[in-house]
Amino acid sequence: MQGLQLFFDAIVALTSVQSIFTAAWSVLLGIIMGTLPGLTATMGVALLTTLTYRMGAEQAILALVCMYVGSIYGGSRSAILLNIPGTPASAATTLDGYPLARAGRAGYAMGIATTSSAIGTVVGIFFLAATAPVLADIALDFHSYEFFWLALFGVIISGQLTAAGSPLKGYIAGILGLMVAMVGMEGIHAHVRFTFGFSELAGGIGLIPAMVGAFGFAEVLNVMYERRAQLVAGTVDRVLPRIADVWRYKFTALRSGVIGTFVGVLPGVGEDIGAWASYAAARRLSRKPEEFGKGSIDGLTAAETGNSAVVPGALIPALTLAVPGSAPAAVLIAALFIHGVRPGPMIMTEQPMFVYSIVAMLLFATIGITVFGLLLTRPLLMVLRIPRERLMPVVFVLCVIGPYAITQRMFDVWVMLFFGVVGFLLRRMKYPMAPLVLGIILGELMDKNLRRGLSLSDGDLSPFFTRPISMLFFVVIALTVMLSIPAIRRAVAGIGRRFWPSARSQTR
Amino acid sequence: MTAPRAATADLVTGVILFALAVALIYGAWTMDRLEIRQIHPLTAPGLLPGLLGVALALCSALLIAGAVRARRRAAAAGAEGEAAGDGSPGNLAVATGLCLAYALVLVGWLPFWLATSLFVAAFIAVFEWPDAESGRARLVNLLWAAGIGLGAGLAISYAFSELFLVRLP
Repeated sequence: MQGLQLFFDAIVALTSVQSIFTAAWSVLLGIIMGTLPGLTATMGVALLTTLTYRMGAEQAILALVCMYVGSIYGGSRSAILLNIPGTPASAATTLDGYPLARAGRAGYAMGIATTSSAIGTVVGIFFLAATAPVLADIALDFHSYEFFWLALFGVIISGQLTAAGSPLKGYIAGILGLMVAMVGMEGIHAHVRFTFGFSELAGGIGLIPAMVGAFGFAEVLNVMYERRAQLVAGTVDRVLPRIADVWRYKFTALRSGVIGTFVGVLPGVGEDIGAWASYAAARRLSRKPEEFGKGSIDGLTAAETGNSAVVPGALIPALTLAVPGSAPAAVLIAALFIHGVRPGPMIMTEQPMFVYSIVAMLLFATIGITVFGLLLTRPLLMVLRIPRERLMPVVFVLCVIGPYAITQRMFDVWVMLFFGVVGFLLRRMKYPMAPLVLGIILGELMDKNLRRGLSLSDGDLSPFFTRPISMLFFVVIALTVMLSIPAIRRAVAGIGRRFWPSARSQTR
Repeated sequence: MTAPRAATADLVTGVILFALAVALIYGAWTMDRLEIRQIHPLTAPGLLPGLLGVALALCSALLIAGAVRARRRAAAAGAEGEAAGDGSPGNLAVATGLCLAYALVLVGWLPFWLATSLFVAAFIAVFEWPDAESGRARLVNLLWAAGIGLGAGLAISYAFSELFLVRLP
């Protein structure tokens, strides 16, 4: 009841002409950003962070949240019209969205994508409002041992789930991110590590320049490297979906919303996995699975609801544990610190209203994507016609001036360039970026809590394995790593078939 | 990327990462243990970097082993290593060169608006040049490039210096 009161208070506090204006332009910018292939949600949030650091905290965070929601939704446009996901989150949308567009139903597909995204975000918002205070309460029982495992869990689970077919590359990306976090002054004895005489490195490597490089400059290079795509439809049919159409897929939407939110809660896993998991579940449970991949509305609904629900889901651990659920949420955490908000277990004690303010901001963003998505379909088609040769140099200029604007030093531009080139190379070799980001943001948490825990236990390792939550984390991490080894996975599958032979025949 | 090329890339990356891991372990081992401050030995600053070095060494060794196996399989299957790539290396080289020239040379050497205008105009002109089929079309493209470059240079400079109050490089 108190939560509901705080939620209404947050809505009232946020409702102003200025907030509506901020939400409107940032959602629109987010949709445009997401629509353009190569400009991702992480890039959008990172670049906008550099543009909003002089704004008031509330308006800046509202703009960033709206950018995040808008860009995840915007990715569906190019997925439907170009068969290229505007952001990785919309990869599953291409499977049914593009066939619908080829069948002359591009407008209808975009309408369904819009309502599905709105439903997904609302489901996620519900879980954010309901579970964030509870999780923050549980997190108050976390000590150094649990925080160490939590950080390791984040990197491992992100590495496992985001590397397509090769968890090893996911783990390597996570370790590289953690190594980046080891540069600079450490937090226990104030000892300076791995600076090699560069005084600029004493403060560590900034997350924003690294993110702008890995997601901005790397994407510019990627877009210029890849071949151009052609628009499938220059005009669109009816956009506004009938209520009956939305109602027909209500179970798919709700289920995908729950799956997406759960995937969002997992550290660093992200919107693309939310969409794929929802899509797979919808296909498995559909009465017409043969239509999936050929223009199934069920499939499109699942993919779009799933990826949008990840956004509020990713903010649950981000706000309560300071552990991001996705790459854009990682940048958002950095932005929160810039604006004087300290996410973590104490947030419900220190700023109980803040979580509900975020809920209200997400609600503003949902209204924004629904209104713009349904009303501005035709004008937004124009965005897809902007040639990449004219857009990418402007994006790169923002990649240069953005990190510079925060600290006013060229060193951060060099950091951006370094991460851009390395990020491009790693991406070409199928290394996922999410574990890298998570490693950078969780490195300090892991380092401090490992050494603090060992100091508290006087070198005794047993509290890391015997305290209940620590033990749970350890078991999950050990199982995750072991099951990523093919030989062990085959052995477990063999044991499973021995005990449940019927499962084998069913899966054939 | 074809399978043999991907395996070769993994092999090279694995070797580089292994070397990085060895360097990290060495750096962590030789890092000051702050005995003079009488800290607990297990809270030494090099602890986690050392553990990360060991983990990276293990992962890179597995990567190398996997890449060697993949190369053997590809050789046995007689897979071609010279298949056409999925992108344009030429475009990539030109884009990288222009971006690095802008960020490392032009910015700081010329006024920001001028550096930005030149970079944006050059980028557009270079990449749109092959698209034009006649001299007149090329001239039109060049004028567009110059216009967009100048507009972007002035607008971005104005936004950052006047609205965000940033002292431009």
